[in-house]
Amino acid sequence: MCCLGCRAAAEWIEQLGLADYYALRTAPGQKPDAPAENLSPDSWNRVDNARHVVRDLGGGLRETLLLVEGVRCTACVWLIERSLGATPGVVSVQVNAAARRARVIWRDAAVTLPQLLQTLSRVGYGALPLDSRGLDDLRRRESRDALKRLLVAGFGTMQAMMYATAIYLGAAETLDVSTRELLRWLGLLVATPVVLYSARPFFAGALRSLRARRAGMDVPVALAIAAVYAASLIESVRGTGEVYFDSVSMFVFFLLAGRYLEMRARHRAGDLTDALARLTPPFADRQREDGTWQRVGIHELRVGDCVRVAEGGIMPADGVLLSGGCRVDEALLSGESAPVLKRPADLLIAGSVLEDGPVLVRIERVGADTALAGIAALAGRAHAERPRLQVAGELAAGRFVGRVLALTALTATVWGFVDPARAFSAAVAVLVISCPCAFALAVPAAITRALGALARRGVLVVRPDAIQALAECTHALFDKTGTLTETTLSLADLHAFGDVSRDEALSLAATLARQSRHPVARAIAAAHPGISGGAVSEVNSHAGLGVSATIAGRTLRLGRSDFAVTGFPLSREHEDAVLLAGDTGPIAAFRIGERLRSDAGAAIDALQSRGVTVLIASGDASSRVAHIAARLNVDTWRARVLPAGKLAWLTELRAAGARVLAVGDGINDAPVLAGADVAIALAEGSELTQASSDIVLEGGRLDAIPAARDIAQRTIAIIRQNQRWALFYNLSAVPLAALGFVPPWLAALGMSLSSLGVILNALRIGREDLAPRTAALVRAPAEFSPRPAA
Amino acid sequence: MNILLLLIPLSLLFMAGAVWVFFWAVNHDQFDDLDTPALMPLDDTDQRAGRRDE
Repeated sequence: MCCLGCRAAAEWIEQLGLADYYALRTAPGQKPDAPAENLSPDSWNRVDNARHVVRDLGGGLRETLLLVEGVRCTACVWLIERSLGATPGVVSVQVNAAARRARVIWRDAAVTLPQLLQTLSRVGYGALPLDSRGLDDLRRRESRDALKRLLVAGFGTMQAMMYATAIYLGAAETLDVSTRELLRWLGLLVATPVVLYSARPFFAGALRSLRARRAGMDVPVALAIAAVYAASLIESVRGTGEVYFDSVSMFVFFLLAGRYLEMRARHRAGDLTDALARLTPPFADRQREDGTWQRVGIHELRVGDCVRVAEGGIMPADGVLLSGGCRVDEALLSGESAPVLKRPADLLIAGSVLEDGPVLVRIERVGADTALAGIAALAGRAHAERPRLQVAGELAAGRFVGRVLALTALTATVWGFVDPARAFSAAVAVLVISCPCAFALAVPAAITRALGALARRGVLVVRPDAIQALAECTHALFDKTGTLTETTLSLADLHAFGDVSRDEALSLAATLARQSRHPVARAIAAAHPGISGGAVSEVNSHAGLGVSATIAGRTLRLGRSDFAVTGFPLSREHEDAVLLAGDTGPIAAFRIGERLRSDAGAAIDALQSRGVTVLIASGDASSRVAHIAARLNVDTWRARVLPAGKLAWLTELRAAGARVLAVGDGINDAPVLAGADVAIALAEGSELTQASSDIVLEGGRLDAIPAARDIAQRTIAIIRQNQRWALFYNLSAVPLAALGFVPPWLAALGMSLSSLGVILNALRIGREDLAPRTAALVRAPAEFSPRPAA
Repeated sequence: MNILLLLIPLSLLFMAGAVWVFFWAVNHDQFDDLDTPALMPLDDTDQRAGRRDE
């Protein structure tokens, strides 16, 4: 606890019986920023503002879907459900931690939406009502559908296999014909729902690809399923040859299992709609013609409106600054957290945060025309364009099925000339024998295993084809701020002049720094926890220069060297530092810098030692990028690049034949991530970024990247081994079986052993190095800590 | 082998029953949130009270 206020809050939590939160939580809480004024819950009182987010259930019941920010783990869910549930008038609360959504039903007479939002903000969660169209919740339907299809496929597979085993084994003991027929028809019975219900997404996907005249992965899969099923159906009716209902069910089941895991990861990563909803405030204060202010929803804003934005507020749309200068955090455009100074007539962009205010702004661009929407559109476009560039990779996966289908056609034609009666069954035999083992198991089993192994290390794979791209990447393009470094500034170095101790100097500086909101001041204040003795008076903040105050009778100044110290000679190295000075001269010099993530160096070394070229692209100033690049031994970097510039560099690299892995966290990284061969977003970064990436890294652990690449490479190697093994098995076993050297029971045994071998081989993925799991929970100590006075 | 004529329809009935039960469970929110319910037993507060009276 840092102060009396915290103690009061802690006691209040205890009194409310909410202290279990600390016992239940599994991830540290997120410190809330002061809520921006135009996000305040009262705004929802205006009926027009709330109409599109609330659904009337009749009988005085209302329903809304809240996007809750800062939900980290199940303890948060518990706290939200408990605090909202205890509010009189609330009928039901359902929180989904993975989707960060809360569905609330309440009685209109007893409680209002603003009161609910206020309750949530009191326990520390910002909530944003989502458009009531979101109540239908596509995601939930998708996840339920997928689960049902998977289960039907699972049950069908088990039953079909049982009947198939009976046929295989029974054939040796001369099973009588009628029983054999019965088992075959039963196989048809259980495989039919699997093919017609569970496999429907594959058929739908294939149809979509064919309509769009693209060769997707679904086309060969759907063809194979349909062909095997139709062939077995015909054989059942004719009562000859072999049926393969077990194979086709198993094929569908394994593919669905892989898709289900992928869908869960995708839902966790968030989507574009959430991302944009979160970045701009839902309301703005618009000036009426008579000069009074009216709070309106941002969808009502028009070009030319005059809008007031408070200190700490978020710009609702792009506009021109009318009032005096202000500092603005434009992290979403540049990725840099250091604020930018804006003068009258400068353009402020939607989503940027005002460091000081209030300011008046004339709206110039709204909605889809804003710079923010432009970045989102750029990300969307880069994402949409990627499949075309990646067709080669996708085809490689589909090529195997293609070859099998070609071989089947060839067999059918050849047999058509030799013995037309046997052409059909021979063709099906080729199709089936090469399919279940090599295709239904070799790839999905390995991919499914790899997804699980990666998720355990905090690497959530959203799109499984990212595994191949990750294994093959040659270049890694990192963002700097927020990715390689931590998001906030911190004190990097301290030099005390004369006989002042470091601790004393820092204590004085921190006391002074607490009087200012400037990011540099905040960095200094954060470096010293204590409060210096002595009263602080005559505080003066000098914009762009620093702060001065009288502490215990001493006049002190903290800020730029030309402001803090006048008339004392300074060495060059201290000229651009932040200085603390009294009337008698300088007391201490502080160097403010970005702190590298503790594992950034190790991660980059590991990548470089694996032959990956590491690059840095940043929107920050050259000197700072150069400094970070030098510390990380990265030779190639570009500074002052905007989102479009990063994308251009990426395109350049790809044109030169590189396969690029992009790592980023900010909104400005979204386009480059969307356009990369494989993109990794940090889970603590923006939603938009996560929505345009393939892999989400939890806990900001960069050293998981080289480990993930190792796993990906191992996965690809194991898939190749499996396919080679299946090919070898089929090439040697099929002709032998065809010539009558292998009795059916041996063939059945061989096939099972082959499948088992393939699965056991896949289980080897990610078995080694379980150690990093524990390290994930321990944060490395800060690089700088004030030494106690000697 | 005549016992098969009883056992196989029985197994199919079981399977249909299992699918029905599972579909019911999915449709009644049983699989929407797999994390929170695990914590319920750890929480010794009375569900309806909302606050702890100590």
